[in-house]
Amino acid sequence: MTRLEATRVVVEAAGDAPIVASLGHPAYDLFEAGDRPQNFYTWGSMGVASSIGLGLALARPDAQVFVIDGDGSLLMNLGSLATIGLLQPANLVLVVMDNEAYATTGGQPTPTAHGADLAAAARAMQVDAVTVGTDEELRRSLARAGGRGFQPSGPLVLVVKVTEATPRHWPPLDCVFIKQRFMTAIGNREAAIAPQPVHRPHR
Amino acid sequence: MSQRPVWAAGVCSGLYAAGSRDVVYVPDNPLSHVLAELGDQYADVRLMLATREEEAFGIAAGLYLGGRRPTVMLQSSGLGNSLNAITSLVLPYQIPMLIIVSMRGDAGEWNAAQVPMGRAVRTILDAIGIPHMTVATPDAAADAVRLIATTAFGTRQAGVCLLPRRVTTS
Repeated sequence: MTRLEATRVVVEAAGDAPIVASLGHPAYDLFEAGDRPQNFYTWGSMGVASSIGLGLALARPDAQVFVIDGDGSLLMNLGSLATIGLLQPANLVLVVMDNEAYATTGGQPTPTAHGADLAAAARAMQVDAVTVGTDEELRRSLARAGGRGFQPSGPLVLVVKVTEATPRHWPPLDCVFIKQRFMTAIGNREAAIAPQPVHRPHR
Repeated sequence: MSQRPVWAAGVCSGLYAAGSRDVVYVPDNPLSHVLAELGDQYADVRLMLATREEEAFGIAAGLYLGGRRPTVMLQSSGLGNSLNAITSLVLPYQIPMLIIVSMRGDAGEWNAAQVPMGRAVRTILDAIGIPHMTVATPDAAADAVRLIATTAFGTRQAGVCLLPRRVTTS
């Protein structure tokens, strides 16, 4: 299963729920799998996609929050698993696209290519986690955490073993546009105009 | 309950007055007074511990996307741990947050390992374009925090409040 194929499965399962994507190939594939306003594409801050998703999940317990991370990115912020384990956001699904490489930077192998087990790391931090390798397994694991009418059942880490296929498309480059479109879509629209002082005409 | 320092009570009332109900932090000795005050006196303020400062900025960004007004509290040494998240997430996406920095390495410091970053904090903030204000006296903390936060959330820019040792050890 390529990362793009896996991403399509996640988008389908998410319905209209928010998805936060780690920079580089995971974000590019999310765009190609289905650009939608509820996608938050990061263009930097490698490692913190899971943290963004955690904050969003805590702020919006009414929404199921999905994160599409990479193995290299999660390894850069492994402490995030401890914090997710500590705070136990019931509505957070962290999908780790594990291609065992830093694909965006040229395919250098990550420690997961040599046996590092991210699902075991998550479980050690008290977060339910499974590793899946087929789209059927992925579908089944996501089914219990679907977008609409979801049943929050505790944070879940899904490590998806994927193969690499270089993405062909990029999401929008304008970060503020991405943010405002996203916030509007999930019901937290930023005010277009700052509050103005009340004008009191002279009498 | 023991009497909390004036500056710590001021930090709490200031961030609360600006509408922040979510505080993500990496612990620091002086900030422990703020955390204790928030825990005792502000039942509706959520305290979230992060394992590292950069992570705290990511969580705060997510809280903002979810409609909250986040505060990040850290020691100045942690600014170095945070710079990539600040410069490639918080700033380009214009994600507002109140950032409260307990200073190390300024006047009164005893630990040489804290001095280089402490000395550089303001220059770094200026270089990346984040406005900052230093609390001059313990009494000034409440207003400083409230005003920095009000401007941050009103203008959608991060704002930093620096708490010097001369204040936090008072």
